[in-house]
Amino acid sequence: MKLNLFSTTVASLALALSASVSAQTNLEKLSSVQTTGTSFADKLIDQGGSKAAQIKKNLESINLPDGFKISLYALVPDARHMSVAPQGTVVWVGTRKVNIYTVSDRDKDRVADEVEVFASPLDFNVPNGVCISKDGFLYSVEANRVLVFPAAEFFWENPDVAVGVVVAQGDLIPPDEESYNHGARVCRIGPDNKLYISLGQPHNVSPPGKIDLYQKLGIGGIIRMDRDGNNREVYAHGVRNSVGFDFNPTNGDLWFTDNQVDGMGDDIPPGELNRAPGMGYNYGHPWYGGGTVVTNEYKGVTPPEGIVHPQVEMDAHAADLGMTFYTGKQFPAKYKGGIFNAQHGSWNRVKPVGARIMFTALDSDGNAASTEVFADGWLDDETGEYSGRPVDIAQLSDGSILVSDDFAGAIYRISYGM
Amino acid sequence: MLRIFVILLGGVFLAESVFAADDLIGDPAVGRKLASQCRTCHGLDGYAKIPIAPHIGGEPASYISGQLKAFRSGERKHEMMTVVAATLDEQKIVDVAAWYASLEAKAITPEDIDLRKKPEVCVTCHGEDGISLAMDAPNLAAESIVYISTQLKAFRNGKRKHPVMTAIAANLSDEDIRAVSKWYSAIELKINTP
Repeated sequence: MKLNLFSTTVASLALALSASVSAQTNLEKLSSVQTTGTSFADKLIDQGGSKAAQIKKNLESINLPDGFKISLYALVPDARHMSVAPQGTVVWVGTRKVNIYTVSDRDKDRVADEVEVFASPLDFNVPNGVCISKDGFLYSVEANRVLVFPAAEFFWENPDVAVGVVVAQGDLIPPDEESYNHGARVCRIGPDNKLYISLGQPHNVSPPGKIDLYQKLGIGGIIRMDRDGNNREVYAHGVRNSVGFDFNPTNGDLWFTDNQVDGMGDDIPPGELNRAPGMGYNYGHPWYGGGTVVTNEYKGVTPPEGIVHPQVEMDAHAADLGMTFYTGKQFPAKYKGGIFNAQHGSWNRVKPVGARIMFTALDSDGNAASTEVFADGWLDDETGEYSGRPVDIAQLSDGSILVSDDFAGAIYRISYGM
Repeated sequence: MLRIFVILLGGVFLAESVFAADDLIGDPAVGRKLASQCRTCHGLDGYAKIPIAPHIGGEPASYISGQLKAFRSGERKHEMMTVVAATLDEQKIVDVAAWYASLEAKAITPEDIDLRKKPEVCVTCHGEDGISLAMDAPNLAAESIVYISTQLKAFRNGKRKHPVMTAIAANLSDEDIRAVSKWYSAIELKINTP
């Protein structure tokens, strides 16, 4: 039997740490354009072997509409949100661990050649959000910090990248509000050239005492700021935990997915796809757990006026995450201007649901017209086991789309024709 | 960079045997079935599938049941686990704990690990290789940097409380936390089913 070493008191426990002053960090060095001495060596992720073979086999059971094809694009451990370089050199891939990866396809055969760790001298913490501006500045959004990498398409191959701090560690949200699970951020540069960031709130249902603070800071919302970090403001609030958003290229509307409340049952509340036609709207959390389902915690409480309900109610607990508007020419006309979004799949439903790609078409007024399953087959209906869990969608310049999967550790490419 | 940890024990860690507070006995076979609601995040074999979830295969049963009870009572909070634990009664908790504890966790320390970075302050309870040496301590081998550092920060800021960990974490800087997390995350973990 093991000894219970912990049950005694610690009154006399004294812990001494050496008082050595910590050396200049790699972030400080790189911010002042010094080198860190990191070698170029062996940061490559193996792209072959039995893992690639098994994933290719798994992809045979993915269902797609006629004429579409899915293939393995890259093996990327813990692959989450993606950002495609404007000149097409690389795709950056965030994770919920400590790495950002670059995926390159130099010969343009639409299969990745190299996958490697980006900016390896830097210590990241949940660098889930990556987004690049049209003029080539890559932003990384961690649980509680935002960095910028100027000329990222130029510097990415060198571990010693150029880097600057947009929001310093601990300034994105108060450290006391850091979450265990809702700390995976998403970012994009908006049509107004501002940096937009989603901030999940750290509860299943926000308690009443936190509502004012969260609305003020945009926790449980989407914030925007100038690209240098100034002029931060709350763009959308009353959001539970959005892990995917994009701007409608035709009118600039912000659309976002939102993960909804757990513990109310297998079939409620619905997941959400929301439209934000401007700044300042309230999307209903914590009064509503998803759609128009009132949370148990706020039964009998009158919600504020003017709450905006979702455009699309998705299957409960399917976990709608990353999304993108489709602007390519490769897919049939019906897909143009619509939204592809990934469903990660449920984690606590008796019969799991999700692990799919959904497609939502919009009408001429810019509202959701219809939603359908575009791709599924990562979830075995009989055993309830996942062979993959889609996270994000990104479009390549040829009009095909990439799908990241943090369960399989892979990126797939879906193409049409040929 | 990890500083050198010195622990002055002053007769603190006195060995003490443990008596269960209740006499419920966990059934691993029942626990395995219940684990269908754990597996999306922790794996059926207790090897975690997502970075924020710990590996729990081969963990001491008392640690698993203790944490589930803490989630249920609200003493420990988490967006997902608070919801899960609310649905578990005492028997289910000991059954699930019995299943995951019945698995064998084996740590493999990489040969090129830098022994100068061994976190002395942790090894008495969590083992040099991250396999627990104490009933109330989890295995740390191969846990993600994000998981370990998040928990240490939660102990430091008081969100998670523990007689020993609260005191230890209070003295850790962000750099110390990163270094400890890197040490244990670099160790490989294999979980064998019986």
